[in-house]
Amino acid sequence: MDHNENWVIEAQDVSFTYEGNEEKALDGLELKIRRGSRVAFMGGNGSGKSTFFLCLNGIRKPDSGRICIDGKPIEYTRKGLLDVRGKVGIVFQEPDNQLFSASVYEEISFGILNLGADEETAREEVDQVIGELEITPFKDRPAHALSGGQKKQVAIADILVMHPEVMILDEPAAALDPAHTRKVHQIVDRLTGKGITVLMATHDIDYAYRWADEIVLMHGGRVLRQGTPEAVCADREALCKAGLEPPSVLRLWECLQDKGMISRTDRHPRSTDELIRMLECDDTDVQNKERI
Amino acid sequence: MLLIDRLSYRSKLRYVNASEKLLYAVATLALCVISRSVRTAVPVFAVNMVLTVGKGGIPLSRYMKLLLIPAAFLIAGTAAIVVNVSAVPLDAFAFPAGDFYITGSRAGLWQALKTCLTALAAVSCLYFLALNTVMTDILGALRKLKVPALLIELMLLIYRFIFVLSETASAIRVSQNSRLGNRNLRTGIRSFGAMGTALFILALKRSNALYDAMESRCYDGTIRVLSGEHQAKAEEILLIVAYEAVLALIWLMPLWLESRF
Repeated sequence: MDHNENWVIEAQDVSFTYEGNEEKALDGLELKIRRGSRVAFMGGNGSGKSTFFLCLNGIRKPDSGRICIDGKPIEYTRKGLLDVRGKVGIVFQEPDNQLFSASVYEEISFGILNLGADEETAREEVDQVIGELEITPFKDRPAHALSGGQKKQVAIADILVMHPEVMILDEPAAALDPAHTRKVHQIVDRLTGKGITVLMATHDIDYAYRWADEIVLMHGGRVLRQGTPEAVCADREALCKAGLEPPSVLRLWECLQDKGMISRTDRHPRSTDELIRMLECDDTDVQNKERI
Repeated sequence: MLLIDRLSYRSKLRYVNASEKLLYAVATLALCVISRSVRTAVPVFAVNMVLTVGKGGIPLSRYMKLLLIPAAFLIAGTAAIVVNVSAVPLDAFAFPAGDFYITGSRAGLWQALKTCLTALAAVSCLYFLALNTVMTDILGALRKLKVPALLIELMLLIYRFIFVLSETASAIRVSQNSRLGNRNLRTGIRSFGAMGTALFILALKRSNALYDAMESRCYDGTIRVLSGEHQAKAEEILLIVAYEAVLALIWLMPLWLESRF
């Protein structure tokens, strides 16, 4: 297989079936992820997103096909798995299934100690991550007294402290209020800033369209469509099959173009703010023309 | 249980080194139980009250209410020592009841008082620990004492999941109530059973999910964590040792004097 330095994850013909199930959870999945990119995974429940994530750090072993991390196939030995799990971290959807200790400090120290750090280094790393993710105000509270958003922050810190190359977030904004959703999104932006490849499962197409470098549409255990948000969202058929609606900003933009209320360009607006700016620009153009 | 947990997080003595508090509580408890004397029980009870309510800032009313729980058991238990049914009246009190007397002896009364006070003092030691030390800190201290890792890991997971499951249970309860699941005893019992089933299945599912999540962080069968450190202070340890010594003196001195003269 020709390996390019740019690919951090390569999945080839990956299939997986849960024990006792007829249906394949993953069915010949093919995928490549560019290093340092922001990738949104979209698709209905049961489309294979979570199973694929579990395969990416060796929790589930594909029945067939192979997964390469950094160009190296995952080895299902003690050492190989340790290596992969140090590189790929998963923030699970339900923090209550991830946080095993009632103490925030103990919780965050778990991963880095498992990677073999000595106590002193681990303490430094834990303290740093607590400061970085703004956990300090509630670090002395027990896990059961934290809000959903705070638990999510700790769950992300759990993984960040291990300095992964790839960070997987499984619906990080599920069941969060808008303020905490924004906070999680800010944290995610900071992760990309550090060069971490971020894979995020989400049902929020408006956010995916605005945030991602690439969108992966999943359906029935395979990749239905992978590409830039513009390309994927232009494929209405694929969107429909994945049970998704196109982003509202895109629909509005198309409608404005059709009605001639905005000049036609190839530059798609990624967010509402961008569309508003385009509208304002157009207005001043028109006014300038009228003046002449 | 949940109340004690909440109070312990608010205690002003929370950040005192946990090993110190554990040492204090266990040593005092041991002295209390071994001596079984009113001379030690009274000061122990008083000092624990001052420490927990005065220094720890646990509200007095809460503390008293918590003490009532073991007190109820104590009263029921000591009643058996105090009250006898006998054909002959004993020296402390006697009420005739037909051919018999409901009666008690002075020695019995004294015995009951001693048992009550010792038990209350012993409980106050445990309350001091429980109300001023966060569970995870106690586990940290036990870890340092080289208590078997398996035991500590079990305690850690159980402690965490008591709260997760009780939250789930109360959510199920609310949803059952909102559908009249507890309108009478019959439906109440059925709802309770259904909740038990649901909780059991959920607990299994959660434990699987938790295991996956821990494995994805390189879990290999041993839970290694760092406890938040609160430095032990030499003067505090000295104070504890001195206190235990004084208690031992209070207990042993009169015994020694008796044997001499």
